[in-house]
Parts: sequence; structure tokens; C-alpha cells
Amino acid sequence: MSSNDPLEIALRELESLEQFSIAALVAASSPEALEAARIEYLGQKQGKLKAAQERLRTLDPAGKRVYGQRFNGVKQSLEAALSAARLRLERRAVAAGAIDVTLPGAIPRLGHRHPLTQTADELIDLFGRFGFSVARGPEVEDIHHNFDALNIPPSHPARDPLDNFFLSEGTMLRSQTSTVQIRVMEAQRPPVRVIAIGRVYRPDTVDATHSFMFHQIEGLMVDRGVTMAGLKTVLRLFARSYLGHDVKIRFRPSFFPFTEPSVEVDMLWHGGDRWVEMGGAGMVDPNVFRAVGYDPEEVTGFAFGLGIERLCMRRHGIDDIRLLYQNDIRFLEQF
Amino acid sequence: MIVSWNWLTDYIRLDMPAEILAERLALAGLNHESTSEVEGDLAIDLEVTSNRSDCLGHIGVAREIGVLFDKPMWVPAARPTSSGPGVESRTAIAIEAGDLCPRFTARVVSSVRVGESPWWLRKRLETIGVRPISNIVDVTNYVMFECGQPLHAYDLDRLAEHRLVVRRGRAGETLTAINNRVYELDPEMLVIADATRPVGLAGVMGGLETEIGFDTTNVLIEAAQFDAMSVRRTSRALGLSSPSSFRFERPLDPEITDWASRRCAELILEVAGGTLHPSVIDVGGPPADRGPITLRLAQIERVLGIRIEPGEVQDILTALGLEWLGRTENSVTVRPPSWRPDLEREIDLIEEVARIHGYHHIPEDRAVPVTSAPRELRERVESEVRGLLTGLGLNEAVTFSLVDEAQSLPVGPGSGPPPLRIEHSSRKREVALRQSLIPSLLAVRRHNEAHGNLDAELFEIAHVYLPRPDQSLPDEPTRLALVCGRDFRQIKGVIESLRARLHVSSPLRAQPVEVALFAPGRAARLLLGDIHLGYMGEVDPDQLATLELRGACSAAEIEFAVLMQQAQLVPLYRPLPSFPAVVRDLSLVVARSLSWADLRAAVIEATGPTLAAVEYLDTFQGGNLAEDEQSVHFSMTFRHPERTLTGDEVDQVVKAVVDACASRLGAKLRV
Repeated sequence: MSSNDPLEIALRELESLEQFSIAALVAASSPEALEAARIEYLGQKQGKLKAAQERLRTLDPAGKRVYGQRFNGVKQSLEAALSAARLRLERRAVAAGAIDVTLPGAIPRLGHRHPLTQTADELIDLFGRFGFSVARGPEVEDIHHNFDALNIPPSHPARDPLDNFFLSEGTMLRSQTSTVQIRVMEAQRPPVRVIAIGRVYRPDTVDATHSFMFHQIEGLMVDRGVTMAGLKTVLRLFARSYLGHDVKIRFRPSFFPFTEPSVEVDMLWHGGDRWVEMGGAGMVDPNVFRAVGYDPEEVTGFAFGLGIERLCMRRHGIDDIRLLYQNDIRFLEQF
Repeated sequence: MIVSWNWLTDYIRLDMPAEILAERLALAGLNHESTSEVEGDLAIDLEVTSNRSDCLGHIGVAREIGVLFDKPMWVPAARPTSSGPGVESRTAIAIEAGDLCPRFTARVVSSVRVGESPWWLRKRLETIGVRPISNIVDVTNYVMFECGQPLHAYDLDRLAEHRLVVRRGRAGETLTAINNRVYELDPEMLVIADATRPVGLAGVMGGLETEIGFDTTNVLIEAAQFDAMSVRRTSRALGLSSPSSFRFERPLDPEITDWASRRCAELILEVAGGTLHPSVIDVGGPPADRGPITLRLAQIERVLGIRIEPGEVQDILTALGLEWLGRTENSVTVRPPSWRPDLEREIDLIEEVARIHGYHHIPEDRAVPVTSAPRELRERVESEVRGLLTGLGLNEAVTFSLVDEAQSLPVGPGSGPPPLRIEHSSRKREVALRQSLIPSLLAVRRHNEAHGNLDAELFEIAHVYLPRPDQSLPDEPTRLALVCGRDFRQIKGVIESLRARLHVSSPLRAQPVEVALFAPGRAARLLLGDIHLGYMGEVDPDQLATLELRGACSAAEIEFAVLMQQAQLVPLYRPLPSFPAVVRDLSLVVARSLSWADLRAAVIEATGPTLAAVEYLDTFQGGNLAEDEQSVHFSMTFRHPERTLTGDEVDQVVKAVVDACASRLGAKLRV
């Protein structure tokens, strides 16, 4: 067939009519525009489809058959496009009864984890990655575990009744989670890698930074070859993971009866100009090993203790420790 | 310990900036608190740990500076000239309580002129925050802040028979101290007495009647050693502490006693004139020499993780004043100086070497061996519980373990044993260890109500402390407590959700119980299977009034250990049913006294294996029902594992249920 074939020309024009008319129907954005498009293409008198139908008469019988078939197909697809466009515009009209999607959502009542347990969980998680598992011990302790086994002799000022909560003869509220170190080492042979976490009690006068009850996390690692360099490494890894990559740590000599050498651990934040004391640490004192039946010639160990309140307050910018125990909903809901 | 910059220069040349000095001291163990300028001098406040009493005087701090900056230092010889009759002709000393006073020295200076101290002495004391009093008293204070040894000066002529006795206090004795307060003494306290009465609390404070006055002419200088615990006990018992007691409570240099006494005499002669009687009365005398300590060089690396050259070890230890007794290839042997009673063992020397070498030399990038530490059951269950309860709208609280006695009772029927109590002077209320968490949470709810946060819904996971008659330590079970404004069924639903979340297979059972906290008829004991889980209920309105709570609330407290034991954190897959279920509802009219548990049991028994679930829907009372009747509406789900049930089959089972309930429980079908 040549390009001058009347049938082919007619079919090409029909196809182009289909494309343009459907595009016009789809593009109509209002009932008025749709009606204009309908009249233009599907109008009974002047419509372009009507004109295309009249083209039929100009064709030979074989052409009429082919063209007629194609014409009916185009007509159907145009009618379908018209009704689809009407439906679309109708639905838009229905949407006048729509809701304001910018209204706030209806929020189900949601509770919050206490910031202290969030902090503790995070610490457990972090030290867990360093291989420390969680150990627990009683809060009401005997003198042996709280003092004697920790190399705190009867003459030591830490045993003063004014600085401790004693119960009846021989028991007390533990003043440090180091008691758990002793219980763990009494119960298992080296190697040991644990953190103890929990409540401790000291009769401090309550103010913005002191509470008579607070929480500690204490780490203990005992094995052959455990050194102060290992301690510094673990604490640096901890500081970086918990507080940020640009946190530095330093050791300052200190004194704790159950570790020697003993150090205070200071941390320095990026941009900060002041080292902040974060806790105490040191190498487990040989007397502590002897008290639990470990041989200090065989193993060495390190221990460290951090105040959970201090970490929590530092992390969340809380400036008064008492807020942590008031449990005001307006406070709890911030975490 | 506040030190004066100018004062330190008496013993050592300071040519470094004050900030550098403070930082080096801090990094060697004397933490820097603050530095303030005081009229041409600097007052540097250093925190001295309890093992380093040698740094409770300027000489000790100067010695430390000398080691850190590698500088020589000088200590005054303190060799005052004496003349006239021997001191024994003027006074006598007797120690009756040798266990509490190992050494007591006395010197006497006669014909002094008591007056104001010279300017330099006043100035130095003022710089470190000590108020000047008179030249004699100021000298005793000066020497204490110089070398750490406390001293006391007596007006010799006011001592009965001019002599002193070191003895225990006697019941009924009193002493008026120089602070003008009267203290009652007891046999636990060590006192300094004259022939007739106590004239001082040993190591703590002197007596008013024998203190130096402006009319004093003859002075007895006391320099002694007292038992640290005894001083501390006396100081605490009387609520009286002083710079002297602060020092005596720590191990002091046992050999400094006589030097301090000489130095004191020397300065008294300088600022108040007079004549020092020859020699000294020294009861007890200096201690025996201390034994040597051997440091195995390999131990340094074993503990610190770094090697320190033997030459440096020697330099550090000798600079610190340890006497060098020799070395072998593997070890060094030294004798610690008297001013470092804290150095007794090899590990003490390792710490000294580390601290002076500098902790900044210890690396922080060592490989730490890998080991696995999976989260323990407890952590996992706690995490699930916290996640669920916060998701259900409850906030987590952390409350104190110590409560008022009235809030310390356990929850449950009966009253239980009395709580454990702490004994401490700082606390009058809140001295009991709690046996239930609920009162604390109710108090939190009240705090919130008072601050406009109505209906605080709370939970806490914490220990309670239950006395055990046969053991010294109490039982400390962990409890989970809930307090919220929801009603009984809602809070029970929370516990059922917990059970579901933890995949506990045992059913939750509830039995009616009488609990004082809860309203009658609205409390239950909970069990998981046959195991006691805890108590729950709606708080009694009378209790609400007592607690000053406005809104109604309910509470529950359950044993965390039971949740842990029964939690199934790794649930096993059950195949999904292949055939559809048929659901039928029933409303049965039964007696009001019949519990759902009993009705449910009857339904289950009457149905057989095709019953997949029975679900309570609601209860209707009143209307055309009799007073003692209720209509219970529930649904039953039936399913056969191998085929689809027919309607007829299900109808038959339902009929069997109705018949069984009719005959066993007197139930009627509600129409």
C-alpha cells in the first residue's frame, strides 16, 4: 500500500484523532473543560468524531469495512475516556467532604522508659559488646563483702557509721557495687569479665548533685595478662562509643582500698575546656584476690566504677539529680 | 589542704607557672580544687586522698613538687638552743592508755611573752584560711600546717601538779573545750588530764581552762601520736572535728613527732621569747625501723602493661625518699621513709613508679581478647516488659528503697514481719526498707496529681527486702509493680498482655483475696499455672483518702522471677490451621455467684477437642433477670484439624454445652 492510499490516510487521521481527543479528555480539570472537549470531539453535530464517521462514505467497500471496524474501536475508547473523566471529576467533587489531613494524629497513650534505666541498658549493651556480662548481688550486704574482702580494714574512714547505712549488727546497705566483684570471684574461677549494675547507698545530704541512693556500674576483668593498658583501652573504647568519637580520657592517681594502682578517670569532650571526672578505676589489689582465693601471682585484674546518674545527667543535660527520683510525668515524658 | 605559694618557697624554689604546678600535682595525685590570690600570695587548694597524709603539710607538698620537677628541697633542722634546768624538773608525763597513745613528747618553754604574732606568721596562716589567735597558738598551728603533725600548747601553770596523764575518760567527767562548749566524756574516749581533771580531748581539741592566755608565761608543748580510730570515734561521738583530728584520723609520720616539737619550740623562742628547758620527755619513743620492700621489676610490666627502665625506677623511688638498699638483675630493694606509712608492699611501689612516670605514658590501644557475653535472661525479659508496658501507656518510675515505716508493709493478706530498718542520725523518717513497691508508686501518683498531672500511670522494676528469720541477709526478690487509673479488668488485661508477650504457656489465674490496700471484693491473688505470681486490685477508697489521692486507681505487684522462669523468649512455630473455624455465641443465665472461671471450665469440659477457644464477651444484669442472676455472653470457636466442620456437628456440641451447663450449673439459655 502506498502512502497515497485514501484508506491509509483516513486510518492515520483516525489514529491521530484518538490520541488528541483522549489527551484532551484526560487533561480536563473541570466539568466545563470536559464539556468543551466533549463537544469538540464527540459533539453530535460538529464533533470531530462525527466528521471522521462521514469519511466512511469516501472509501471503497473493502476500505469501508476496515475503516468502519477501526472507527468503532476509536468511538468506544473515546466514550470510555469520557466516562472515566466524568467519574474522576465527580470523585473530586465528593472530596469536598474530606477531612483536614493536617489535623494532628490521634496519638495512643505512650509511656516512657526512665532515663536511668535507658542509660543502664545502654551501658549493659555497650559493655556486652566488649564481652562483659551482667552480674548482680544483694543490696543489703554483710560487712565482709562491703569492707573486709575489699581490703577496707576496720580502721579505714570509709567504714565510719556516719558514712554508711548500717542495719542490725553485721549488715548494711551496700555503699558500692564492688561487693558484687567479691561475690562473683567467690563463685567462679578466672577468667572473669563482668559488670555489676545497681543501687548503692550513702548518707550524703541530698542536693542537686547528691542523693542518698544512686546507681553504679562497675566493671571487673580478671585473667592472666590483664594490665592497666587494657583498662585504659576498655575505658577509651567505652567513652568513644558512649559519648562520642572525639572524647579523650586521662588517668589521675587516686586511692581506693580495693585497687592499686588506683586512678580517677577524667574525660574531655570535643570543644570542652575542662576535664570532667567520670569515675574511679584501678588494678585489683592483691589483697582482694587473696580474700576470694585467687592467686595474685597468677592473675591480674582491673576494675572500674562509673556513676549512672552522672552519665545520664551529662547525656541528657539534666541539672538536678532529684528530678530522677521525683518521677514527674512531665519529666519522664521527655525521654 | 590549702597551701601557700610563698610558704612553699621556704623549702623549694618555684620557678614554674602556678597553673603548670597545679596540673602536674593533679596528674600525680594531688587533685587541684582551686587557686585564689590572697594579697600577693596564692592559696592553692589541693585534694589529698586519705592514704597521703604526708601531703597534709607544706613540707610534704614541697617534697612532691621536688620529685615531679626534679628540684632539691630544704627542711629546717629545728635545733633550738636550750638552757637552765631539765624539762623533767618542770613537768611529768604518764601514759596510762598505751594502746591508744604510742608516743607522747613534751617540751617546756618558760617566761614567754604571749602576744600577737609577727606579720609574716599571721599572713601565712591567713592565706591558708586559719585565723591568727596568739603567737604561741599560731606557732602550734603553723608547725601543723608545715609538717602535718598536730600539736597542742598548755599553760603549764594551770595544770594541776604541772603534769599530764594520758588516759581514758571516766563516766561523768566533762570538759569545756576551747570552743567554749561542754562535752561529756566516756571510757571510749582518750583524754589528756592533769593530776585532777581532763584538760584536753586527745588529738581532737584542748580544754578551755588550760589554754594559752595573754597572761601565760610557761608553756608545755605536746607532740604525740594517737590511735586513729580512737580519735575518729571521739570526734564523731562528740560531733567535733578539727584540723588536728582530721590528721590524727589518718596514718601520720611516726618519726616527725620530735621534729615538730623542736620546730615548735624554736619558733616560740623566735616569736615569744622565753627559755627552752633542755631536752624532751619522750614517752614511748620512736618506732622500730621499717622493713625493706622488694620490687620485682617484671611486675611493673605485668601490672601496668608497659616497661619502665630500671634506671628510671631507681630515680623515682630514691627521689620519693625511699632508701636504696640494693638491686639484683630482676629486682630492687628499698626501705620507705617514715612519712610514707602507705608504702608497705610491692604493689605500693608499682603505683609510685606509675604515678611519677605518668599515666599518660600508658597506651590505650591494646588488643583486648574477644569473648562472648550474650544478654542474660533477666536483661531480655526486663527489656520486653519495659517495651510492652511503655507501649501500653505506662511510664517507668525509679523510686527510693527507703520509705516511711507505714509504707513498708508487704502487699498481700495479713501484715507480714516488720521491715528492716537502717540506723542513721541523718534520717528520722524513711528508715524502713520497703517490702512492696506499690506505696512508692502511689506516692509518685500523688506527687503528679499535686502538680497537675492527673492519672499518672506508672510501673517500676526493683527489689523489695524481706527479712528472713534464719539468715542475716534478707531475701531481695525483684518485683514489677503497676499503678494506674484503669479498672480491675483493664489492669488485669495489662498483666495478660505481659503473659502473652513473654509467651508464657501457663494460664493466668486469679483468686479472690482480702488485701488491706484494696477494696473488698476487688482484689485478687494471681498465679501462673500453680505458681504464685502476685497481687492486684483496685485501691480501697478509704486508702485513697489516707494517701490524699483524688483519682481512683488500681495496682498490681508481681514476682519478676516467675515471669523470667516462665518466659519463652524463643517461641516455637505452630502450623497454621488448614480448615476454617466456626464461631458460635451463647448467652447463659446463671447465678451471680458463679465465676467466669467455673463457667469456662464447664464449657471446656462439655465440648471436647474441636473447641479452639472460649472468649468472654460481656455480662448483663438486671432487666428481666432475677436479683441473683446474671447473663453471661461468650463466644466459642470450633475447628477440626483434618476437615471442615458441618453446621450440624457444631450445633450438637453447642447443645451439649447448654445441656451440661444446665444440669451442672443450673444455667438457662437466654432468650
